[in-house]
Amino acid sequence: MTTFFQLVVVGISTGSVFAIVGMSLVLVYRATGIVNFAQGVFAVLGGLLTYSIGKHMSLPLAAVLATIVTAFLATVVAVVAVGIRGRTTHLASLIITVGIAIFAEAVLLAAFGEVPRSYSAVSDRAWDIGGVLVQPQYAVLTVVALAAAVGLTLFLRHTIVGQALVASADSPRAAELIGLNLRSVAVIAFAVAGALTAIGGVLLAPTVPVAYSSGLSITINGFAAAVVGGLASIRLALLGGYALGVVEQLVIGYIDPQYNLIIALVVMLVLIGWRSRGELAV
Amino acid sequence: MTLLQLDDVVVRYGQAVAVDGVSLTVGARERVALIGPNGAGKTSVLNAACGVVRPASGRVRVDGKDVTGGTPAAVVRRGISQVPEGRHVFATLPVEANLLLGAYGRVFSLEIVSSTLRYIRAKRDVRERLDGVYALLPKLYELRDRPAGRTSGGEQQMVAIGRALMAEPRLLAIDELSLGLAPLLVQQLAEFLLTLNDEHGVAILLVDQSASLAFSLCERAYVLETGRVAIEGPSQDLAGRSEVRSAYLGGPAEGPA
Repeated sequence: MTTFFQLVVVGISTGSVFAIVGMSLVLVYRATGIVNFAQGVFAVLGGLLTYSIGKHMSLPLAAVLATIVTAFLATVVAVVAVGIRGRTTHLASLIITVGIAIFAEAVLLAAFGEVPRSYSAVSDRAWDIGGVLVQPQYAVLTVVALAAAVGLTLFLRHTIVGQALVASADSPRAAELIGLNLRSVAVIAFAVAGALTAIGGVLLAPTVPVAYSSGLSITINGFAAAVVGGLASIRLALLGGYALGVVEQLVIGYIDPQYNLIIALVVMLVLIGWRSRGELAV
Repeated sequence: MTLLQLDDVVVRYGQAVAVDGVSLTVGARERVALIGPNGAGKTSVLNAACGVVRPASGRVRVDGKDVTGGTPAAVVRRGISQVPEGRHVFATLPVEANLLLGAYGRVFSLEIVSSTLRYIRAKRDVRERLDGVYALLPKLYELRDRPAGRTSGGEQQMVAIGRALMAEPRLLAIDELSLGLAPLLVQQLAEFLLTLNDEHGVAILLVDQSASLAFSLCERAYVLETGRVAIEGPSQDLAGRSEVRSAYLGGPAEGPA
């Protein structure tokens, strides 16, 4: 039973990262209609930049800088994906982000090398709760994911910038007619989502070393979490992330570690197949 | 003074010509109708005027100043707001957020400093404007917390009009006011627009398939056919012409004896 709880605890912590990436995907999708397949790259960037910058200064400061740099790079991705004239179709944008993800992997390999990187967690001392070891880093990840969900929901519902993002998703045509610049909206959404995902990557690296090639599996897991809420719900993406993390850990612990990414893919396909019956009819 | 002036505007979508050289004017405080059958290019004319589509040729002028190819935000800032066909409210946002975005939408840009300054400047009188819109359309005040998507068709039309008014337009361009709405409701909205025009001096450019509504509400009208202005003139004259009566008013081809 201790093993089970240990796996659940680890699952919730890795699931928090999936949740964070999933919520970022939801944010971008809701504001722009684009599924950003390069989202996981931002997590990798967060981790690897923190590692590199952290060699020269304190880790928290490095983490903040890494997040800001990643958010800026996310705005570049937004402009490329949406297009200079803003006429790119959503499908074309999606394929562009796939291209960016592949391109980014090559650039990350050249810039940071192939060695997975890690650095020290917030604390080395694990709490022993009835035989179950809980790393403080796990708690931080879980709390950050929760806080991000609450923060994003408040942002979208109660701030004028958040409402502008929702408005462009509700009706791009009306949004344009009230003078909203849809490209600005896309850039803001990508920047916020990029920063959030970077934070996820920054916090993930101490427990799971991050390499140049980690982006794809992070994207897939985040996407699987987001699909739980049909790419539309922040709350369900959070729960989806936690659930996916736990299921993956249970499979890794009790069956075979090789299966972890397959779980995400299966969850994703089943949910898409199940949801599409209703969603496509709309 | 001419508020909006279109000179020989041509709009193309790929190979298809939607608007084939349309010229029209709307004066300050004037009420003008644009009627015509489906596919005549009415909406394209509006979109060219509002900066949503860039004309292939021709000029769009506001207050005599050339704004051809300007962004929708620039046109809204110059005082022209459009109420789109099919209303297009922001369905998941509350009615009040829909209205507020009408005031703030044009403020957003990527220049954080200038858009923040514009936001602060806009914020000063936005509450007052909101109260003004609530005074004009009291129904919206009752519905202010409800998601706009969960209001009736007529209420959504009010939201769309109220949202456009939040930008303090001098010209309200309305695409298909009557589409899908009950006659009584259309009449109420028409009376509201008359009041708006009369007491607040907002010019109206109405696009509608219902010629009787357009003629009763507007002083002047343009009849658009296959992308060109077929007939134009005072509504009374147009309403009396046999070809207009037969095509748009469902009346007999011969005028009354």
